[in-house]
Amino acid sequence: MFLINELIALLASNLILMQALGTSTLFIAAGSRRNLIGTAAVITVFTTVGSAAAYAVNHLTGQKYSDFTLFFYTLAVGILYVLLLTAMYFISRNAFDKFKKYIHVSAFNCAVMGTLFTIISDDLLAEESFSLTDYLSRGFEAGIGFVIAALILTAAYGRLNSSKVPSSFRGFPAMLIYLGIISMAVYSLK
Amino acid sequence: MNKPQNTLTSGLLSDNTVLSACMVISPVIMCGDTLQNALALVYAFSSITFISVLVSSFVPKRLPYTVKIIIYALISSLVYIPVRLAAQEFYPSSIERIGIYYPLLAVNSLIVYQTELKFFRMKKGRMIGSLVFHILGFDTVMLITGLVREILAYGTINGQMVDMDTLMSGLAQPFGGFIFLGILCGIYRKIRSAAMKSKNESRGEANVSD
Repeated sequence: MFLINELIALLASNLILMQALGTSTLFIAAGSRRNLIGTAAVITVFTTVGSAAAYAVNHLTGQKYSDFTLFFYTLAVGILYVLLLTAMYFISRNAFDKFKKYIHVSAFNCAVMGTLFTIISDDLLAEESFSLTDYLSRGFEAGIGFVIAALILTAAYGRLNSSKVPSSFRGFPAMLIYLGIISMAVYSLK
Repeated sequence: MNKPQNTLTSGLLSDNTVLSACMVISPVIMCGDTLQNALALVYAFSSITFISVLVSSFVPKRLPYTVKIIIYALISSLVYIPVRLAAQEFYPSSIERIGIYYPLLAVNSLIVYQTELKFFRMKKGRMIGSLVFHILGFDTVMLITGLVREILAYGTINGQMVDMDTLMSGLAQPFGGFIFLGILCGIYRKIRSAAMKSKNESRGEANVSD
């Protein structure tokens, strides 16, 4: 029962199905298993480490510089982007060649930036302010949410792109309608 | 003579930012449920994208790709500040409803990624023209989505009641946004392929008569 509740909670707060964040990246990721794993892994790293960076930004700058929140988040994600590429380059040249395209696609993605803004708005609404662990767990959950949505789309990807679908609706439009139907089902769980 | 004009205006029709290139779709899905929201988003997207791409075009091309992408994102996040402050005067209620999707407009893929792939490969004058049409492409889809969803979901146009017998309140929800955008995209593709077909046929006829 606990697992079912957790799964429902994960679906109900899913960044793609409930917030449409990172939908276009999802369409690219669902195309192949390799893309799916690569993009999902990198997005999860960005949302998790990015949320820790957001925690630091919020505590260092406070409400005084709230107009600059986006600028500071962009700077933090930018630094993370460079660090991740550099680390990958020095760890393994092979991994760097394989993963760099996913890092480029994921860095300034709506899924990543949207997660950071969702966490901060939840934090502002919460009675007790979030700890670093809360930020990290929420960032990680967002990444897992992306993986779940990607798996749901991958399951139907072939059919949505098949010749049986009218050419005007094949691919992107059919995937949007499919996500809409899944989103409707998840909405009823809320 | 016709060819360059087609490329210049392609952002509006044949290569529409939302319907063809599948970019900046989350604000359309999540916030495009009323005309007022759509207007607030159109204002923000147009001003942030236009100014950011224009300023970013002065960033030295010799810099590494990653550094350039970060600079473009930083420029747009700075442009966002005055745009938001002005929006709070003009669209105070919409800004609140749009929430996190407002800042996300500043890091949209048209600014961050398409600048390198598309706009900065063109000459300045041409780039500005193409950019304007790409922005208009988003604006058109946003306004159509806002108008139609508001009529069907709430039975109003810009907050004014209209005579509607049946309302589909689900269209105001995220799933309604997904489904509506999917249908709009399908209709757009159908019209585009029909237009291309008739264009090819008329070209073929012209070649035969030659």
